[in-house]
Amino acid sequence: MNNHLNDGQLRAALDGELDSEALTHLETCPQCQSRQKAHRAQMELVADKLAFLSAPTKNARLSSTSAWSRFKQHKLTQKETPMFKKLFAIPLIRYGIPALLVLTLVFAFPGARAFASELLNLFRIQQVAVVPVDFTGMQSLNGAVGNDIGQLISNSITMTKKPGNPVDAADAAQASQLTGFNVRVPKDITPSRISVMNGSDFTITVDRAKAQALLVEAGRSDLALPAEIDGAKISVSIPNSVSVDFGTCPSPSADGDSPNLGNNGSASRRYADCVILAEIPSPSVSAPASVDVAQLAQIALEFSGMTSDQAKAFTATVDWTSTLVVPIPKNAASYEQVSVDGVTGTLIQRPSDDAPQFLLLWVKNGIIYAIGGLGSNSQQAIQIANSLP
Amino acid sequence: MDESLPHESVLHLMKLRKRNNTSDESLIVAFESLFHEYWAPIYRLLLGMVIDPSEAEDLALETFLRLYKHHPVPEAEFNTRGWLQRVAANLALQSIRSFKRREQYELNAGKDALEQAPQHQPPEIMAEKEDQRFVRLALAQMNERQAELLVMRHSGLAYKEIAQALNLAPTSMGPLLLRAEREFEKQYRALTKEKP
Repeated sequence: MNNHLNDGQLRAALDGELDSEALTHLETCPQCQSRQKAHRAQMELVADKLAFLSAPTKNARLSSTSAWSRFKQHKLTQKETPMFKKLFAIPLIRYGIPALLVLTLVFAFPGARAFASELLNLFRIQQVAVVPVDFTGMQSLNGAVGNDIGQLISNSITMTKKPGNPVDAADAAQASQLTGFNVRVPKDITPSRISVMNGSDFTITVDRAKAQALLVEAGRSDLALPAEIDGAKISVSIPNSVSVDFGTCPSPSADGDSPNLGNNGSASRRYADCVILAEIPSPSVSAPASVDVAQLAQIALEFSGMTSDQAKAFTATVDWTSTLVVPIPKNAASYEQVSVDGVTGTLIQRPSDDAPQFLLLWVKNGIIYAIGGLGSNSQQAIQIANSLP
Repeated sequence: MDESLPHESVLHLMKLRKRNNTSDESLIVAFESLFHEYWAPIYRLLLGMVIDPSEAEDLALETFLRLYKHHPVPEAEFNTRGWLQRVAANLALQSIRSFKRREQYELNAGKDALEQAPQHQPPEIMAEKEDQRFVRLALAQMNERQAELLVMRHSGLAYKEIAQALNLAPTSMGPLLLRAEREFEKQYRALTKEKP
Protein backbone atom coordinates (compact mmCIF):
# COMPACT_ATOMS: atom_id res chain seq x y z
CA MET A 1 0.00 0.00 0.00
CA ASN A 2 1.50 3.29 -1.13
CA ASN A 3 -1.07 5.66 0.35
CA HIS A 4 1.33 7.09 2.87
CA LEU A 5 -0.12 9.40 5.44
CA ASN A 6 0.37 13.13 5.08
CA ASP A 7 2.06 15.17 7.79
CA GLY A 8 -1.25 16.36 9.21
CA GLN A 9 -2.46 12.78 9.63
CA LEU A 10 0.81 11.81 11.26
CA ARG A 11 0.42 14.68 13.69
CA ALA A 12 -3.22 13.78 14.43
CA ALA A 13 -2.17 10.21 15.15
CA LEU A 14 0.01 11.50 17.99
CA ASP A 15 -3.15 12.81 19.64
CA GLY A 16 -5.07 9.60 18.95
CA GLU A 17 -7.27 11.50 16.50
CA LEU A 18 -6.67 9.41 13.38
CA ASP A 19 -9.34 7.28 11.73
CA SER A 20 -8.93 3.53 12.01
CA GLU A 21 -8.05 2.90 8.36
CA ALA A 22 -5.19 5.38 8.38
CA LEU A 23 -4.09 4.10 11.76
CA THR A 24 -3.87 0.57 10.40
CA HIS A 25 -1.60 1.85 7.67
CA LEU A 26 0.59 3.68 10.12
CA GLU A 27 1.02 0.61 12.27
CA THR A 28 2.41 -1.35 9.36
CA CYS A 29 4.36 1.33 7.50
CA PRO A 30 7.98 1.93 8.62
CA GLN A 31 8.27 4.98 6.33
CA CYS A 32 5.32 6.75 7.92
CA GLN A 33 6.52 5.77 11.38
CA SER A 34 9.92 7.23 10.64
CA ARG A 35 8.44 10.53 9.44
CA GLN A 36 6.21 10.66 12.47
CA LYS A 37 9.22 10.63 14.79
CA ALA A 38 10.18 14.18 13.83
CA HIS A 39 6.65 15.39 14.48
CA ARG A 40 6.61 13.61 17.81
CA ALA A 41 9.77 15.38 18.94
CA GLN A 42 8.31 18.74 18.02
CA MET A 43 4.99 18.00 19.69
CA GLU A 44 6.68 16.83 22.85
CA LEU A 45 8.78 19.96 23.04
CA VAL A 46 5.70 22.16 22.72
CA ALA A 47 3.70 20.02 25.15
CA ASP A 48 6.53 20.25 27.66
CA LYS A 49 6.82 24.01 27.29
CA LEU A 50 3.07 24.62 27.54
CA ALA A 51 2.41 22.13 30.33
CA PHE A 52 2.38 24.88 32.95
CA LEU A 53 -0.74 26.38 31.37
CA SER A 54 -2.94 23.59 32.66
CA ALA A 55 -0.93 22.67 35.74
CA PRO A 56 -2.43 23.29 39.16
CA THR A 57 -1.07 26.48 40.61
CA LYS A 58 -0.14 27.54 44.09
CA ASN A 59 -0.90 31.16 43.37
CA ALA A 60 -3.90 32.94 44.78
CA ARG A 61 -7.12 31.30 43.68
CA LEU A 62 -10.51 32.84 43.43
CA SER A 63 -13.19 30.29 44.20
CA SER A 64 -16.05 30.02 41.78
CA THR A 65 -18.43 31.20 44.51
CA SER A 66 -16.46 34.39 45.14
CA ALA A 67 -15.99 34.81 41.41
CA TRP A 68 -19.71 34.49 40.82
CA SER A 69 -20.38 37.05 43.48
CA ARG A 70 -17.99 39.48 41.77
CA PHE A 71 -19.42 38.65 38.38
CA LYS A 72 -22.95 39.33 39.50
CA GLN A 73 -22.10 42.50 41.40
CA HIS A 74 -19.76 44.17 38.97
CA LYS A 75 -20.08 42.63 35.56
CA LEU A 76 -23.78 42.05 35.20
CA THR A 77 -24.48 45.64 36.09
CA GLN A 78 -22.35 46.83 33.17
CA LYS A 79 -24.25 47.29 30.00
CA GLU A 80 -23.19 47.39 26.38
CA THR A 81 -19.66 48.10 25.25
CA PRO A 82 -18.59 51.51 24.02
CA MET A 83 -18.04 50.02 20.56
CA PHE A 84 -21.64 48.93 20.55
CA LYS A 85 -22.88 52.26 21.75
CA LYS A 86 -20.93 54.02 19.06
CA LEU A 87 -22.87 52.10 16.49
CA PHE A 88 -26.33 52.33 17.90
CA ALA A 89 -26.69 55.04 20.48
CA ILE A 90 -29.06 57.76 19.51
CA PRO A 91 -26.40 60.49 19.37
CA LEU A 92 -25.02 58.58 16.46
CA ILE A 93 -28.05 59.60 14.52
CA ARG A 94 -27.69 63.20 15.57
CA TYR A 95 -23.95 63.67 15.28
CA GLY A 96 -22.58 60.29 14.55
CA ILE A 97 -23.35 59.82 10.89
CA PRO A 98 -20.35 61.92 9.89
CA ALA A 99 -18.25 60.06 12.46
CA LEU A 100 -19.43 56.71 11.24
CA LEU A 101 -18.76 57.73 7.69
CA VAL A 102 -15.28 58.81 8.60
CA LEU A 103 -14.57 55.55 10.41
CA THR A 104 -15.86 53.60 7.48
CA LEU A 105 -14.10 55.70 4.93
CA VAL A 106 -10.77 55.65 6.70
CA PHE A 107 -10.73 52.06 5.59
CA ALA A 108 -12.89 52.29 2.55
CA PHE A 109 -11.73 55.26 0.58
CA PRO A 110 -11.70 54.99 -3.18
CA GLY A 111 -9.01 54.03 -5.60
CA ALA A 112 -10.20 51.23 -7.77
CA ARG A 113 -7.25 50.03 -9.78
CA ALA A 114 -9.27 50.26 -12.93
CA PHE A 115 -8.77 54.00 -12.67
CA ALA A 116 -5.13 53.80 -11.70
CA SER A 117 -3.59 57.11 -12.45
CA GLU A 118 -2.23 60.02 -10.50
CA LEU A 119 -5.65 61.66 -10.44
CA LEU A 120 -7.69 61.71 -7.32
CA ASN A 121 -10.72 59.56 -7.04
CA LEU A 122 -13.98 60.79 -5.64
CA PHE A 123 -16.20 58.83 -3.31
CA ARG A 124 -19.92 59.47 -3.14
CA ILE A 125 -22.43 57.35 -1.34
CA GLN A 126 -25.22 55.94 -3.43
CA GLN A 127 -26.10 52.86 -1.46
CA VAL A 128 -25.84 51.17 1.90
CA ALA A 129 -24.54 47.71 2.67
CA VAL A 130 -24.50 45.99 6.03
CA VAL A 131 -21.75 43.69 7.15
CA PRO A 132 -22.24 41.58 10.29
CA VAL A 133 -18.99 41.56 12.20
CA ASP A 134 -17.86 39.54 15.19
CA PHE A 135 -16.64 42.22 17.57
CA THR A 136 -15.39 39.74 20.15
CA GLY A 137 -11.76 40.45 19.35
CA MET A 138 -12.29 44.16 18.90
CA GLN A 139 -13.79 44.74 22.31
CA SER A 140 -10.34 44.60 23.84
CA LEU A 141 -9.43 47.58 21.68
CA ASN A 142 -11.28 49.77 24.12
CA GLY A 143 -8.14 49.67 26.23
CA ALA A 144 -4.61 50.82 25.53
CA VAL A 145 -4.58 49.85 21.87
CA GLY A 146 -7.90 51.59 21.34
CA ASN A 147 -6.44 54.76 22.83
CA ASP A 148 -3.42 54.41 20.57
CA ILE A 149 -5.67 54.08 17.55
CA GLY A 150 -7.63 57.13 18.63
CA GLN A 151 -4.38 59.02 19.12
CA LEU A 152 -3.08 57.98 15.72
CA ILE A 153 -6.28 59.08 14.00
CA SER A 154 -6.34 62.41 15.83
CA ASN A 155 -2.65 63.03 15.05
CA SER A 156 -3.26 62.26 11.41
CA ILE A 157 -6.23 64.59 10.94
CA THR A 158 -5.97 68.22 9.96
CA MET A 159 -9.30 70.02 10.29
CA THR A 160 -9.75 72.71 7.70
CA LYS A 161 -13.34 73.50 8.59
CA LYS A 162 -14.84 72.80 12.01
CA PRO A 163 -18.49 71.79 12.35
CA GLY A 164 -19.57 74.30 15.03
CA ASN A 165 -22.61 74.02 17.26
CA PRO A 166 -26.05 72.89 16.11
CA VAL A 167 -28.58 75.62 15.31
CA ASP A 168 -32.34 75.18 15.66
CA ALA A 169 -34.57 75.74 12.66
CA ALA A 170 -38.26 76.64 12.82
CA ASP A 171 -39.35 74.46 9.95
CA ALA A 172 -38.26 72.51 6.89
CA ALA A 173 -38.01 75.65 4.78
CA GLN A 174 -35.63 77.35 7.18
CA ALA A 175 -33.63 74.14 7.59
CA SER A 176 -33.33 73.89 3.81
CA GLN A 177 -32.09 77.46 3.69
CA LEU A 178 -29.50 76.83 6.40
CA THR A 179 -28.23 73.52 5.03
CA GLY A 180 -28.38 74.34 1.33
CA PHE A 181 -30.27 71.20 0.37
CA ASN A 182 -33.93 70.29 0.31
CA VAL A 183 -34.72 69.15 3.86
CA ARG A 184 -37.73 66.87 4.04
CA VAL A 185 -39.98 66.72 7.11
CA PRO A 186 -42.99 64.36 7.36
CA LYS A 187 -46.28 65.97 6.48
CA ASP A 188 -48.49 64.48 9.16
CA ILE A 189 -46.09 63.99 12.09
CA THR A 190 -45.03 67.11 13.95
CA PRO A 191 -41.37 67.19 14.96
CA SER A 192 -40.38 68.34 18.46
CA ARG A 193 -37.20 69.96 17.18
CA ILE A 194 -35.29 70.57 13.97
CA SER A 195 -31.58 71.31 14.27
CA VAL A 196 -28.97 72.00 11.66
CA MET A 197 -25.31 71.21 11.94
CA ASN A 198 -22.61 72.74 9.78
CA GLY A 199 -20.42 70.44 7.80
CA SER A 200 -16.71 70.00 8.21
CA ASP A 201 -13.64 69.42 6.06
CA PHE A 202 -10.49 67.61 7.04
CA THR A 203 -7.52 65.76 5.64
CA ILE A 204 -6.09 62.51 6.90
CA THR A 205 -2.43 61.80 6.20
CA VAL A 206 -1.69 58.09 6.48
CA ASP A 207 1.36 57.03 8.48
CA ARG A 208 1.71 53.45 7.36
CA ALA A 209 4.47 52.50 9.83
CA LYS A 210 2.47 53.66 12.83
CA ALA A 211 -0.75 52.08 11.60
CA GLN A 212 1.06 48.81 10.96
CA ALA A 213 2.65 48.93 14.42
CA LEU A 214 -0.82 49.29 15.91
CA LEU A 215 -2.07 46.30 13.96
CA VAL A 216 0.80 44.28 15.42
CA GLU A 217 0.03 45.66 18.85
CA ALA A 218 -3.57 44.59 18.43
CA GLY A 219 -2.38 41.08 17.71
CA ARG A 220 -2.87 41.19 13.96
CA SER A 221 0.66 40.96 12.64
CA ASP A 222 -0.76 38.70 9.93
CA LEU A 223 -2.37 41.77 8.32
CA ALA A 224 0.01 43.87 6.22
CA LEU A 225 -0.95 47.34 5.10
CA PRO A 226 0.10 48.07 1.51
CA ALA A 227 3.23 50.21 1.12
CA GLU A 228 1.57 52.64 -1.27
CA ILE A 229 -0.77 54.07 1.36
CA ASP A 230 2.13 55.63 3.26
CA GLY A 231 1.84 59.38 3.14
CA ALA A 232 -1.41 59.23 1.18
CA LYS A 233 -3.57 62.28 1.81
CA ILE A 234 -7.28 61.58 2.07
CA SER A 235 -9.52 64.62 1.96
CA VAL A 236 -12.96 64.32 3.47
CA SER A 237 -15.69 66.87 3.07
CA ILE A 238 -18.81 66.44 5.18
CA PRO A 239 -21.76 68.60 4.13
CA ASN A 240 -24.24 70.38 6.39
CA SER A 241 -26.76 68.03 7.95
CA VAL A 242 -30.08 68.21 9.73
CA SER A 243 -31.68 66.20 12.48
CA VAL A 244 -35.41 66.12 13.05
CA ASP A 245 -36.56 64.95 16.49
CA PHE A 246 -39.87 63.33 17.30
CA GLY A 247 -40.91 62.80 20.92
CA THR A 248 -38.65 63.49 23.90
CA CYS A 249 -35.06 63.36 22.72
CA PRO A 250 -31.73 64.17 24.40
CA SER A 251 -30.63 67.78 23.89
CA PRO A 252 -27.73 68.48 21.59
CA SER A 253 -24.65 69.30 23.67
CA ALA A 254 -22.86 72.58 23.06
CA ASP A 255 -19.43 71.07 22.51
CA GLY A 256 -20.67 68.73 19.84
CA ASP A 257 -19.89 65.63 21.85
CA SER A 258 -22.46 62.93 22.16
CA PRO A 259 -24.70 63.40 25.17
CA ASN A 260 -24.04 60.74 27.77
CA LEU A 261 -26.93 58.35 27.76
CA GLY A 262 -25.55 56.45 30.71
CA ASN A 263 -25.15 52.74 30.77
CA ASN A 264 -27.97 51.55 32.92
CA GLY A 265 -30.92 51.54 30.60
CA SER A 266 -32.56 54.55 32.27
CA ALA A 267 -31.86 56.66 29.19
CA SER A 268 -33.76 54.22 27.06
CA ARG A 269 -36.74 54.58 29.35
CA ARG A 270 -36.46 58.38 29.46
CA TYR A 271 -36.20 58.66 25.70
CA ALA A 272 -38.41 55.69 24.91
CA ASP A 273 -40.55 57.71 22.50
CA CYS A 274 -37.63 59.54 20.86
CA VAL A 275 -37.12 58.96 17.17
CA ILE A 276 -34.64 61.03 15.19
CA LEU A 277 -34.54 61.50 11.45
CA ALA A 278 -31.15 62.60 10.12
CA GLU A 279 -30.52 63.85 6.60
CA ILE A 280 -27.13 64.54 5.06
CA PRO A 281 -25.90 64.77 1.48
CA SER A 282 -23.19 62.26 0.74
CA PRO A 283 -19.78 63.26 2.08
CA SER A 284 -17.10 63.27 -0.56
CA VAL A 285 -13.72 61.68 -0.14
CA SER A 286 -10.68 62.12 -2.33
CA ALA A 287 -7.70 59.84 -2.20
CA PRO A 288 -4.75 58.98 -4.43
CA ALA A 289 -5.71 56.51 -7.11
CA SER A 290 -2.75 54.33 -6.22
CA VAL A 291 -4.60 53.27 -3.10
CA ASP A 292 -6.45 50.01 -3.56
CA VAL A 293 -9.71 50.41 -1.70
CA ALA A 294 -10.81 46.81 -1.98
CA GLN A 295 -7.54 45.65 -0.49
CA LEU A 296 -7.84 48.05 2.45
CA ALA A 297 -11.46 47.14 2.97
CA GLN A 298 -10.49 43.51 3.10
CA ILE A 299 -7.86 44.24 5.74
CA ALA A 300 -10.41 46.21 7.76
CA LEU A 301 -12.91 43.36 7.57
CA GLU A 302 -10.32 40.80 8.60
CA PHE A 303 -9.26 43.07 11.43
CA SER A 304 -12.83 43.23 12.62
CA GLY A 305 -13.07 39.47 12.87
CA MET A 306 -13.83 38.01 9.44
CA THR A 307 -11.77 35.20 8.04
CA SER A 308 -9.73 36.00 4.96
CA ASP A 309 -12.14 34.07 2.73
CA GLN A 310 -15.23 35.75 4.18
CA ALA A 311 -13.64 39.18 3.75
CA LYS A 312 -12.68 38.42 0.15
CA ALA A 313 -16.18 37.21 -0.65
CA PHE A 314 -17.79 40.31 0.88
CA THR A 315 -15.32 42.71 -0.71
CA ALA A 316 -16.06 41.28 -4.13
CA THR A 317 -19.76 42.12 -3.77
CA VAL A 318 -19.32 45.79 -2.93
CA ASP A 319 -18.60 48.82 -5.08
CA TRP A 320 -16.36 50.61 -2.64
CA THR A 321 -16.57 53.94 -4.43
CA SER A 322 -20.29 54.35 -3.81
CA THR A 323 -21.29 52.19 -0.87
CA LEU A 324 -21.57 53.11 2.78
CA VAL A 325 -20.69 49.92 4.62
CA VAL A 326 -22.21 49.72 8.07
CA PRO A 327 -20.70 47.13 10.40
CA ILE A 328 -23.18 45.59 12.83
CA PRO A 329 -22.46 43.16 15.66
CA LYS A 330 -22.91 39.62 14.47
CA ASN A 331 -25.44 37.64 16.52
CA ALA A 332 -26.46 40.75 18.47
CA ALA A 333 -28.19 42.75 15.76
CA SER A 334 -30.26 41.81 12.76
CA TYR A 335 -30.93 43.61 9.51
CA GLU A 336 -33.33 43.36 6.64
CA GLN A 337 -34.03 45.09 3.36
CA VAL A 338 -37.21 47.14 3.44
CA SER A 339 -39.03 49.22 0.89
CA VAL A 340 -39.13 52.88 2.00
CA ASP A 341 -39.48 56.28 0.37
CA GLY A 342 -39.66 54.62 -3.05
CA VAL A 343 -36.27 52.93 -2.69
CA THR A 344 -34.77 49.98 -0.86
CA GLY A 345 -33.58 50.74 2.65
CA THR A 346 -31.87 48.74 5.36
CA LEU A 347 -33.46 48.27 8.77
CA ILE A 348 -31.03 47.32 11.53
CA GLN A 349 -32.44 46.20 14.85
CA ARG A 350 -30.70 45.39 18.09
CA PRO A 351 -32.83 43.49 20.54
CA SER A 352 -31.90 44.01 24.15
CA ASP A 353 -33.39 43.50 27.59
CA ASP A 354 -33.44 47.16 28.52
CA ALA A 355 -32.28 49.16 25.53
CA PRO A 356 -33.50 47.86 22.20
CA GLN A 357 -32.55 50.11 19.30
CA PHE A 358 -33.30 50.42 15.64
CA LEU A 359 -31.81 52.24 12.71
CA LEU A 360 -33.28 52.61 9.24
CA LEU A 361 -30.91 53.77 6.50
CA TRP A 362 -31.50 54.62 2.89
CA VAL A 363 -30.10 56.83 0.16
CA LYS A 364 -32.21 58.85 -2.25
CA ASN A 365 -31.16 61.49 -4.76
CA GLY A 366 -27.70 61.75 -3.21
CA ILE A 367 -29.02 62.33 0.32
CA ILE A 368 -28.42 59.80 3.08
CA TYR A 369 -31.38 59.35 5.41
CA ALA A 370 -31.26 57.65 8.79
CA ILE A 371 -34.04 57.16 11.29
CA GLY A 372 -33.14 55.76 14.67
CA GLY A 373 -34.74 55.27 18.02
CA LEU A 374 -34.53 53.58 21.35
CA GLY A 375 -37.26 51.01 21.60
CA SER A 376 -38.42 48.08 19.60
CA ASN A 377 -41.10 49.78 17.51
CA SER A 378 -39.15 50.02 14.29
CA GLN A 379 -42.38 50.42 12.35
CA GLN A 380 -42.32 54.05 13.46
CA ALA A 381 -39.21 54.55 11.35
CA ILE A 382 -40.86 53.08 8.28
CA GLN A 383 -43.98 55.17 8.88
CA ILE A 384 -41.92 58.37 9.09
CA ALA A 385 -39.88 57.44 6.04
CA ASN A 386 -42.99 56.81 3.99
CA SER A 387 -44.62 60.08 4.99
CA LEU A 388 -41.78 62.26 3.71
CA PRO A 389 -42.99 64.65 1.01
CA MET B 1 -36.21 27.43 35.06
CA ASP B 2 -34.92 23.90 35.40
CA GLU B 3 -31.30 24.21 36.47
CA SER B 4 -30.54 20.76 35.17
CA LEU B 5 -31.01 21.93 31.60
CA PRO B 6 -27.99 21.28 29.39
CA HIS B 7 -25.86 24.39 29.08
CA GLU B 8 -26.51 24.77 25.40
CA SER B 9 -30.22 24.87 26.22
CA VAL B 10 -29.60 27.50 28.87
CA LEU B 11 -27.77 29.64 26.34
CA HIS B 12 -30.44 29.11 23.75
CA LEU B 13 -33.13 30.12 26.18
CA MET B 14 -31.14 33.19 27.14
CA LYS B 15 -30.86 34.16 23.51
CA LEU B 16 -34.57 33.77 22.93
CA ARG B 17 -35.48 35.77 25.98
CA LYS B 18 -33.09 38.53 25.08
CA ARG B 19 -34.51 38.61 21.61
CA ASN B 20 -38.01 38.87 23.03
CA ASN B 21 -36.86 41.77 25.14
CA THR B 22 -37.62 40.21 28.47
CA SER B 23 -35.49 40.09 31.56
CA ASP B 24 -35.63 37.22 33.98
CA GLU B 25 -33.79 36.55 37.20
CA SER B 26 -34.07 32.84 36.45
CA LEU B 27 -31.72 33.35 33.50
CA ILE B 28 -29.05 34.49 35.88
CA VAL B 29 -29.71 31.50 38.08
CA ALA B 30 -29.32 29.20 35.12
CA PHE B 31 -26.16 30.93 34.00
CA GLU B 32 -24.72 30.57 37.48
CA SER B 33 -24.56 26.77 37.22
CA LEU B 34 -22.72 27.08 33.94
CA PHE B 35 -20.37 29.63 35.49
CA HIS B 36 -19.47 27.33 38.39
CA GLU B 37 -18.78 24.41 36.10
CA TYR B 38 -16.34 26.27 33.85
CA TRP B 39 -14.84 28.84 36.19
CA ALA B 40 -11.95 26.72 37.49
CA PRO B 41 -10.46 25.59 34.15
CA ILE B 42 -10.84 29.04 32.60
CA TYR B 43 -9.33 30.81 35.57
CA ARG B 44 -6.50 28.28 35.77
CA LEU B 45 -5.71 28.72 32.10
CA LEU B 46 -5.63 32.49 32.45
CA LEU B 47 -3.54 32.35 35.58
CA GLY B 48 -1.02 30.21 33.75
CA MET B 49 -0.94 32.60 30.85
CA VAL B 50 -0.86 35.99 32.51
CA ILE B 51 0.61 35.05 35.95
CA ASP B 52 -0.85 38.01 37.79
CA PRO B 53 -3.85 36.66 39.78
CA SER B 54 -5.83 39.88 39.66
CA GLU B 55 -5.32 40.18 35.89
CA ALA B 56 -6.36 36.54 35.51
CA GLU B 57 -9.49 37.19 37.57
CA ASP B 58 -10.45 40.19 35.50
CA LEU B 59 -9.92 38.37 32.23
CA ALA B 60 -11.84 35.33 33.44
CA LEU B 61 -14.78 37.49 34.51
CA GLU B 62 -14.64 39.26 31.15
CA THR B 63 -14.66 35.89 29.38
CA PHE B 64 -17.85 34.86 31.15
CA LEU B 65 -19.42 38.23 30.59
CA ARG B 66 -18.88 37.81 26.87
CA LEU B 67 -20.54 34.45 26.99
CA TYR B 68 -23.43 35.95 28.91
CA LYS B 69 -23.91 38.88 26.59
CA HIS B 70 -22.61 38.01 23.19
CA HIS B 71 -22.46 34.28 22.86
CA PRO B 72 -23.26 33.00 19.40
CA VAL B 73 -26.63 31.44 18.73
CA PRO B 74 -26.10 27.94 20.12
CA GLU B 75 -26.39 25.46 17.35
CA ALA B 76 -25.97 21.72 17.51
CA GLU B 77 -22.23 22.18 17.13
CA PHE B 78 -21.82 24.88 19.77
CA ASN B 79 -19.27 23.94 22.39
CA THR B 80 -19.39 26.04 25.53
CA ARG B 81 -16.04 24.96 26.92
CA GLY B 82 -14.26 25.47 23.61
CA TRP B 83 -15.86 28.89 23.14
CA LEU B 84 -14.80 29.99 26.62
CA GLN B 85 -11.27 28.69 26.20
CA ARG B 86 -10.90 30.46 22.90
CA VAL B 87 -12.06 33.81 24.26
CA ALA B 88 -9.91 33.36 27.38
CA ALA B 89 -6.85 32.46 25.31
CA ASN B 90 -7.44 35.45 23.08
CA LEU B 91 -7.78 37.85 25.99
CA ALA B 92 -4.66 36.44 27.63
CA LEU B 93 -2.62 36.75 24.46
CA GLN B 94 -3.68 40.36 24.11
CA SER B 95 -2.74 40.97 27.70
CA ILE B 96 0.69 39.40 27.17
CA ARG B 97 1.26 41.51 24.07
CA SER B 98 0.36 44.59 25.98
CA PHE B 99 2.67 43.50 28.81
CA LYS B 100 5.35 42.74 26.24
CA ARG B 101 5.29 46.36 25.16
CA ARG B 102 5.80 47.54 28.72
CA GLU B 103 8.42 44.94 29.34
CA GLN B 104 10.36 46.00 26.27
CA TYR B 105 10.37 49.51 27.60
CA GLU B 106 11.68 48.32 30.95
CA LEU B 107 14.34 46.20 29.33
CA ASN B 108 15.51 49.16 27.30
CA ALA B 109 15.65 51.22 30.44
CA GLY B 110 17.84 48.60 32.09
CA LYS B 111 15.15 47.42 34.42
CA ASP B 112 15.09 43.78 33.57
CA ALA B 113 12.63 42.23 35.95
CA LEU B 114 14.89 39.27 36.48
CA GLU B 115 17.50 41.40 38.13
CA GLN B 116 14.94 42.44 40.66
CA ALA B 117 13.57 38.95 41.33
CA PRO B 118 13.69 37.77 44.93
CA GLN B 119 17.09 36.31 45.56
CA HIS B 120 15.87 33.62 47.94
CA GLN B 121 14.21 31.61 45.17
CA PRO B 122 16.11 28.47 44.13
CA PRO B 123 17.90 28.87 40.79
CA GLU B 124 15.86 26.10 39.14
CA ILE B 125 12.59 27.86 40.03
CA MET B 126 13.91 31.10 38.62
CA ALA B 127 15.04 29.33 35.46
CA GLU B 128 11.62 27.73 35.10
CA LYS B 129 9.89 31.07 35.51
CA GLU B 130 12.21 32.63 32.98
CA ASP B 131 11.46 29.81 30.56
CA GLN B 132 7.71 30.30 31.03
CA ARG B 133 8.20 33.96 30.26
CA PHE B 134 9.81 33.01 26.93
CA VAL B 135 6.93 30.62 26.22
CA ARG B 136 4.39 33.39 26.78
CA LEU B 137 6.34 35.80 24.63
CA ALA B 138 6.67 33.19 21.87
CA LEU B 139 2.90 32.65 21.93
CA ALA B 140 2.29 36.38 21.86
CA GLN B 141 4.47 36.78 18.79
CA MET B 142 2.61 34.13 16.85
CA ASN B 143 -0.34 34.53 14.58
CA GLU B 144 -3.41 34.83 16.82
CA ARG B 145 -5.19 31.80 15.43
CA GLN B 146 -2.13 29.57 15.72
CA ALA B 147 -1.49 30.66 19.30
CA GLU B 148 -5.13 30.04 20.25
CA LEU B 149 -4.95 26.63 18.69
CA LEU B 150 -1.86 25.66 20.67
CA VAL B 151 -3.21 26.97 23.94
CA MET B 152 -6.51 25.17 23.47
CA ARG B 153 -4.92 21.89 22.46
CA HIS B 154 -2.28 21.90 25.14
CA SER B 155 -4.75 22.76 27.83
CA GLY B 156 -6.63 19.58 27.06
CA LEU B 157 -9.32 20.25 24.45
CA ALA B 158 -10.08 17.52 21.93
CA TYR B 159 -9.86 18.21 18.18
CA LYS B 160 -13.62 18.31 17.88
CA GLU B 161 -13.98 20.90 20.61
CA ILE B 162 -11.27 23.10 19.16
CA ALA B 163 -12.64 22.75 15.66
CA GLN B 164 -16.08 23.84 16.83
CA ALA B 165 -14.73 26.81 18.74
CA LEU B 166 -12.51 27.99 15.90
CA ASN B 167 -14.98 27.10 13.18
CA LEU B 168 -12.61 24.66 11.52
CA ALA B 169 -13.03 21.19 10.07
CA PRO B 170 -11.77 18.56 12.54
CA THR B 171 -9.70 17.03 9.74
CA SER B 172 -7.73 20.26 9.37
CA MET B 173 -6.55 20.13 12.96
CA GLY B 174 -3.55 17.88 12.33
CA PRO B 175 -1.93 20.07 9.65
CA LEU B 176 -2.78 23.28 11.52
CA LEU B 177 -1.34 22.00 14.79
CA LEU B 178 1.78 20.88 13.03
CA ARG B 179 2.32 24.33 11.52
CA ALA B 180 1.50 26.08 14.78
CA GLU B 181 3.95 23.92 16.72
CA ARG B 182 6.63 24.55 14.14
CA GLU B 183 6.06 28.27 14.41
CA PHE B 184 6.08 28.12 18.20
CA GLU B 185 9.40 26.29 18.21
CA LYS B 186 10.85 28.86 15.84
CA GLN B 187 9.72 31.79 17.97
CA TYR B 188 10.76 30.13 21.20
CA ARG B 189 14.23 29.27 19.93
CA ALA B 190 14.69 32.76 18.56
CA LEU B 191 13.87 34.19 21.97
CA THR B 192 16.09 31.82 23.88
CA LYS B 193 18.74 31.74 21.11
CA GLU B 194 18.61 27.98 21.25
CA LYS B 195 19.68 25.93 18.24
CA PRO B 196 17.15 23.33 17.03
